[in-house]
Amino acid sequence: MAPEAAALLVAEGLAKGFGAGDARVEVFRGVSLAVAAGDLLAITGPSGCGKSTLLHLFAGLDAPDAGRVALDGADWATLAPAPRAAVRGASVGFVFQFHHLLPELTAEENVALPLFLAGRPEQGSRREAREVLDRVGLLGRAAAFPRTLSGGERQRVAIARAVVRRPRLLLCDEPTGSLDAAHAAQVFELLAEVAKERAGAAIVVTHDPEWARRCATIKLLGEEGLSDVVGTALPVSPRG
Amino acid sequence: MGVVALAAFCGLALGVAALVVSLALLAGFQTHVRSRLLAETPHLLVTPAGRGPFHDADRIGGKLAAVPGVVSVSPVARGRVWVSMGRDAAPAEVVGRERTKGLVLDVAQARPLGVVPGDTVTLVSSRARLSPLGPVPIVSTLRITALAPSSTGRRAAEASLPLDEARRLFALGSDGATGYEVFLKDPSKAKAGAAAVAAALGPSVTLTTWEEQNRALVLALRLERFVLFAAVFLIVIVAGLNLAATSAVLAATRAGDAAVLSVLGASPRTVENVFRAAGGCVGMAGTLAGVLLGVAASILLERLGLVPLPAQLYGMSHAPFRVDPLDVGVVAALSILWAFVVATVPARAAARQPAVEALRGA
Repeated sequence: MAPEAAALLVAEGLAKGFGAGDARVEVFRGVSLAVAAGDLLAITGPSGCGKSTLLHLFAGLDAPDAGRVALDGADWATLAPAPRAAVRGASVGFVFQFHHLLPELTAEENVALPLFLAGRPEQGSRREAREVLDRVGLLGRAAAFPRTLSGGERQRVAIARAVVRRPRLLLCDEPTGSLDAAHAAQVFELLAEVAKERAGAAIVVTHDPEWARRCATIKLLGEEGLSDVVGTALPVSPRG
Repeated sequence: MGVVALAAFCGLALGVAALVVSLALLAGFQTHVRSRLLAETPHLLVTPAGRGPFHDADRIGGKLAAVPGVVSVSPVARGRVWVSMGRDAAPAEVVGRERTKGLVLDVAQARPLGVVPGDTVTLVSSRARLSPLGPVPIVSTLRITALAPSSTGRRAAEASLPLDEARRLFALGSDGATGYEVFLKDPSKAKAGAAAVAAALGPSVTLTTWEEQNRALVLALRLERFVLFAAVFLIVIVAGLNLAATSAVLAATRAGDAAVLSVLGASPRTVENVFRAAGGCVGMAGTLAGVLLGVAASILLERLGLVPLPAQLYGMSHAPFRVDPLDVGVVAALSILWAFVVATVPARAAARQPAVEALRGA
């Protein structure tokens, strides 16, 4: 395990469940891990075992029922909503299974959006967005709207958007889940490269065995994909 | 969402247009009434503060004429008389002016006596002169030269007669006056004019502006304006509530995008501002369209005279429309402000929605 002092992300004893009373379902408990800069970590497990929920906890979008998550030493639970949003914007990049690009904005504007939200000047933001789009091979599609892009292109734009602020932590929730095998492999390669170049560390939720083989892997074990999941991972540097 | 937003846009545009046209019509009528009022009412009435009339020796007329903004100054002699013809008599307010020829009675004064132009009537003053038989009332016999239509703004019906005749009736001497009628270059600055006159003449005079002389009418006009504005603004209020529903639909359908903004680092306040701006933009567009529609309709209705009126009743052949830029500005500002206010509630709800719930649902 990476020593906590050097760790970028530290999660300790995380537990999370949904519902109340008899209807309550515990998704996982006792999840602890530490991720250091440069780590590339894959989280695998059956559907419903809480992989996405875990990412939400890492990004400070949701609060655990027990345990704590700290990014760069700052516990998400101690931050008020506005500073939490600022830290998330500056330090965390997020790639969704479905791209979640804003349909009214062009590819370039979608990529520049995190910079706009951070209050960066428009011209500089657009220039930086074009640089990242160039990196993901879509500079020629900068003016295109999401509806005119293919599924693979949209996901590459979403990756560009996630890394445009050079986040310390890149979180990807089944980023190739909606793509066919060929496109998934391309996006996978791109993600690995871009994560190495522009992000401090990356955690990817995936069903893809290729991902799991190439990354340090934490496997969440679910009994019928639900509760009693216990996972403690000691991530190491990527093998891929 | 497009149809819902279009409905909100149209509702607001029609509400604003209705308000602009209504206010233009009211402003047109009020301008007409005001111009008639200003033509027949002295802008400033100067009367003695104490007892007794003015005399030439007071040099009031000269001092008044020297005040900046004063266009004309005329002495008047005002008082009450009995007007009699045959066996009929009626009290009447009369005022003597320099340029009046013969006796001009108000229609309302002439009607009870049954007199018409050309008739000769006797005016009996309340003032008396001494005669060998004791004090006798001062009497004047005058021919009616014209009847003046009852005016909208006049406080009470009054008859006009030559100044010298009035001076004699009210025993004011050859140079006396009960007051001076002052006309100003800009009657809308009557209050400032009154202050300048007060500074020039000191405390020996009492000043009454045209607005004070017609206080009831001026207040009624203002009240009418306020009531009409409030009543028609209700349409804008309702259209704005429609916009609130639109914003709520927007917040519900775009909850996923709000969550994405949160993930990208937008604070709850930023998300709220984005949704408020979206609702507000529909409000601004609707208001702008309504203003353009309302102004264009008012100008067309005025130019083409599309709303005819019976001229003998109103003194004009068609309803007047006058677009007042201040009215339009106030309507637009209030409508846009209301749009932003009503968009705030759904925007705040969208910002408070936990991002993970929207992401799970997406």
